[in-house]
This record gives sequence, structure tokens and C-alpha cells, in this order.
Amino acid sequence: MVTNVYLPRPSRIVSVREEAQGIKTFTVRAPEGEPSWPRFAPGQFLEVTVFGVGEAPFSITSAPGSPGELELTVAAVGEVTEELHALAAGDVIGVRGPYGRGFPIGDMKGRRLLFVAGGIGLAPLRSLIGHVISERDDYGEISIYYGARNPSLLCFCEDLTAWESAPHIQVRVTVDSPDAAWQGPVGTVTSLLAKEGYEAGGATAFVCGPPVMIRHTLRVLLEMGFAPKDVITTLERRMECGVGKCGHCTVGKARVCVDGPVFSCAELLDLKEGL
Amino acid sequence: MRFLPEGELAGLLAALSQEAEVWAPARRPNGVVEFQKWEPGTAVELAVLLARQAPKEMVFPQTETYLGYRYLMACPAVRPETPEEAKLELEGEGGEVVAVSPSVSHQLLVVEDVGGSSPTRADVAGVELPGTGARVIFGLRPCDARGFAQMDNVFGGYGGFYFDPYYNARREVTTLVAVACANPRSTCFCRAVGGSPSGTEAVDLLLTEVDGGFGAEAVSERGQRILDYAGFREARAEEEQAVAAAHARAEEAVEAPFELEGVRENLRANFEDARWHDLALRCISCGTCTYVCPSCYCFNINDEMVEGRGERFRCWDNCFNPGYTLETSGHNPRDAKAARFRNRFSHKFWYYPEKYDSLLCSGCGRCIMHCPTRIDIREVIRTMGAPAAELPARAEEE
Repeated sequence: MVTNVYLPRPSRIVSVREEAQGIKTFTVRAPEGEPSWPRFAPGQFLEVTVFGVGEAPFSITSAPGSPGELELTVAAVGEVTEELHALAAGDVIGVRGPYGRGFPIGDMKGRRLLFVAGGIGLAPLRSLIGHVISERDDYGEISIYYGARNPSLLCFCEDLTAWESAPHIQVRVTVDSPDAAWQGPVGTVTSLLAKEGYEAGGATAFVCGPPVMIRHTLRVLLEMGFAPKDVITTLERRMECGVGKCGHCTVGKARVCVDGPVFSCAELLDLKEGL
Repeated sequence: MRFLPEGELAGLLAALSQEAEVWAPARRPNGVVEFQKWEPGTAVELAVLLARQAPKEMVFPQTETYLGYRYLMACPAVRPETPEEAKLELEGEGGEVVAVSPSVSHQLLVVEDVGGSSPTRADVAGVELPGTGARVIFGLRPCDARGFAQMDNVFGGYGGFYFDPYYNARREVTTLVAVACANPRSTCFCRAVGGSPSGTEAVDLLLTEVDGGFGAEAVSERGQRILDYAGFREARAEEEQAVAAAHARAEEAVEAPFELEGVRENLRANFEDARWHDLALRCISCGTCTYVCPSCYCFNINDEMVEGRGERFRCWDNCFNPGYTLETSGHNPRDAKAARFRNRFSHKFWYYPEKYDSLLCSGCGRCIMHCPTRIDIREVIRTMGAPAAELPARAEEE
């Protein structure tokens, strides 16, 4: 028996929460007839169908371990995402996946962890951070650098507060354009990190954000002394089929949907097209 | 070796068409030679070396629907119905309702599975896609058959990856009867990419035209079964010699315009070379080369709704289209034409080979024949696949 990988399976939205301006987080129940989601790794993604409109890939933002439900954080930027934002608890979407290669959890044990995220780029890292915190003793100190264009675009504010109060976790949040109430640092997350500095020895860095932010941050991290293999990012590409066939998301010989979306900087340098 | 006297060809095709749909190259009224469904009386055209299109659409159709949508009537005065009534009606039409969608645009939507793929029933062997009965593709060339072998890697789930039910449902019931090339064109370069005008990769039965008929050699069990047809007889010694001579003649007629050895490494080394821009200058990003290619397999997935009904389908896509890599955010990793141009050739001679240990080109030359700006893949590989030190000098830079 072979299942048809192209067929979306109906799945119900359990709840919807306003995450930031133009960004919502959807809690989605396992596909109808399934008691739980398949096991997934932080960094993997789902192909989500809004029936009659289209399909788009979204990284899973919740940590593994709550198998009946998972969360997707989505910015309304195109046809599918705008229609998705119009949906509410109880509505049905189609899902395929989880797909892709997640973060290299096995290689992270015992290391210090640096997370650098821009805007909605915190979504896939949040899954990983949640996982790491659930096994806190296995890792060294954790630093989280997060930036957004302005305070209304900051996602996961409750999580940021909770992470900050956990032991041995440092959280730094910055915005490009502050409003009157903003008291934190101002500027891009990359420049904040560069200014404050970070000891690269024994650390692994995880970077996710808009392509231009990723490019600059990787450069800064390499300048700080990180080895390319210890800098991990997750790429945004136009993924359609999600299963390595349609060709749209290739980066050199890699197909982001099956060989990624998580890549080390060393892998991207080898792929030539990645940066 | 078996032999099919010329007069038996129509009989063979008739016998094959008893059990399968037979597709063969034939001339259309407008003069174009294309693969068409063979019926008694159809003249098979083998004098033209290549049908305009490789027969890849027999297995991988240009468009293929796999989900259907239908809105419930929003206005009860026009046509009152409940979701249950609509479901019954759709199921009566042969579709299976797989989901009832939410209030997109304030209308309830019913989703039916019209792909015919019965994915909910999940038994691919029992799939009834349009055109998934047994098929024989007759009269394709060895390069066309190799195109299937190259696509098989991708869709067949080589290396433990995902299996494509649509492609494979057709591929598994398709028999390839190739006819060796008697008169290769100047644009043929199969030998440069490891093929041959009498190559047998992916071929079930190879026929070779000689005086008085066809020499026939089975390559697979399927091909062997075709030889059971009573019109075949044992080949005479001189016929076997004629077949061997025809193969040798054709082999000699195909030029090998570049050396394959080192191409992959050199493409890698020349990745940033400015000559990519020079070569891409006259490309108009039309994508013709990808559509006529027997091994290009990229596709697009789209949803389309018209007047309350709609479908999700996939259709051939073209990596030269700037929209091919355009993301919703506006980010486009291959915005530049030269980057798209480099990607296609690198995919065929470097990326795909690294994954599948095979090229994604069978040397048919259709892309050379049909390019409106005369871009020649042989020239591209000769240039960019050469060691950097041996590259021809570049025209003066600005």
C-alpha cells in the first residue's frame, strides 16, 4: 500500500491567536482519523491547503511532544495566507507532512546555544528552543537575540518573557523603529549581536529570518570565530510539492524541502547558491 | 535475433493494440510529427528522426488534476442543497468527498477527489488515472527512452525518497519499443552523454530498420513477450549483419561535441565565471527547451476556481521563468537570468548527477532544434564544462 503524498488530509483548526501585526498563530489538530501528529523534529514544516485557494509551506513553531496538536505561525502576505487568516477555530484546512530535515538535535548536546532570529523567523527556532528547554540539563547556556522592524511585529512575546526568567537563558530583543513605549535596544539584531559580542568556542548558532538578515548574520558569526559547520540556518524557498519532485526550491544540488530546510553554513558554502 | 518483415509492422501494431493503447509517431495534417494513438490505418512515421515532442507526456502529462472543488450553491433560491445532498451528488458522479472546507468567501465548499487517483483508498496498484491502462510507446528513440530512465529516478523515490503515485501508475504499465536511429541529425549528441543511437537503457524491445524489415532484440521480459507475435521470424545471418552495420554507421554519424569527463567538477569551478552571463544574453526565458526535453520534470501546483467549481492540478513548469523561484515575500533567489540559465545546465550535468549518478540529459538535441535564439547546450557545456584555464578568452569587458 502506497499513500499519495500529494493529497492534503483534512485537519481542524483548534484555536487562532493574534501573534503580532498581520501575524497569527494557528493551533491545528492531527488530521481527521489520526490520534496524533506523526513525530516531527523542530525545523520541519507542513504543507497547508486552504481548499479552493492553494497550498503553502509553514514551519512548525511548537515544540515536539504535544502530539495531538501543533502550532503554525503565519504572516498574511499572499493569497493563501490571507485566506488562512480569515479562518477561525473549528474550520478545516488540508495538511501534508511534516516534511524536511529538522535541526541537528543530536549534535547539540552539551553545547552552548546561540539563537538569532528576525521577525517571523523566530517561528521555527521557537520549536527548537521549546525542545531544548524541555531537556534543559543537556545543554549549556542559551542566548537568544531577537529583532523585528518595530515593536508591533515582535512575535511570541509571552515566550520571550518566560524564556528570560528561566535559568541560564539570556534574551535580547531589539527593534529597528521604536515606538514611544520602547525601552530596549534599537537597531538590527545582527548589529546588536555584533556590538555585544559572543564567545564562539563550544557554541552552536541558529539563525533564521529574512534572507538578507541571514546573510549578514552568518557573516558576523563567521567573523566572531564560529566554524561554518557550527552555524545552522533554515532557508526560505518556494516549496511547492514538499517532497523533492517539483524543482522549485533547489539550491544547487540540494532540494530545500527534503535536504533542508535546515542547513549548516558549511553546507550552504558548498552549495554555492545558498548565500 | 528476431526479424519483423516490413509487411508485418501493421499486424504487430494491431496485435499490440488488442491488449494496450499503442502510441506511435505519426504525421499530423499540419505536417508535424507527434506521438499519436495508433489505430489501424495510421501510418507510423519513422523517417523523421525525432517526433517534435518526446513522448514524456504519455507518462507525465502536461497537466494533471488531483483534487476537485465545488461550492455549495450559496443562494438557496437558485439551487437549495445541504452539504449531505451535495456529497451524494458528487459521489454519484464518481468523486469522493475528502473534506468539507470552511467558510472561505462565506460559502461552504465541498472537496471531491477527482484525480481518479483514489488516494484516500491509498492503493496505488488499483489507481485508475486517465490513461493508466497498459500502453505501448512504439517508435521512440533510445534517447527518448533514456529520458524516462532519468525521470524514473526522481519520481520512483530513488534513495528511499517519496514515491510519486501519478507518474508511477502510468510508468509501470508502459512498454517502450524503441527504433534505433538510422540517420542521426547534426544536433544529436547522445554519445557525448553516454548514450547511443542503438542504446537500450529503459528500452523493452529494440527494433533496427534494415532492408526488408526490422531486426528485433528484447531487452526486458516485456519486450520478450512482444516477440511472441507470430509475424516475427528468426533473423538470417545477413540480416543480423545488416543490423550490426546499421548500428555502427549510426554510431559513427553522431558527433561527440564535448568530453564528459571533468564537466561536473569544471561546472563547479566555473560557477561564478562571467561567461554564464555572455551565454545567457540571448536567452529569452521562453522555456521551450524545458518543454521539449525528454528528461525535464519540474512542475507547478496550482488551484483554480471557475464559477463555483475548481481543481488542484500540476502542470509542467519551466525553470527559466523568473516566477519559478519567486517567493511570496518578494525574495527571488534566481532573479537574474544568468542564474536561471546556469541552474538548468548545472542541474543536468552537476546537481542531478551528484544525487543520482546519472546525467539529466540524453543528447536528443531537441533543445538545440527548437530554441528560438539558437542557444546550444553543446556550446554551453563545451564552454562552462571546460577547465577554467582552457576557457576561450572573454569578449572585452565593459
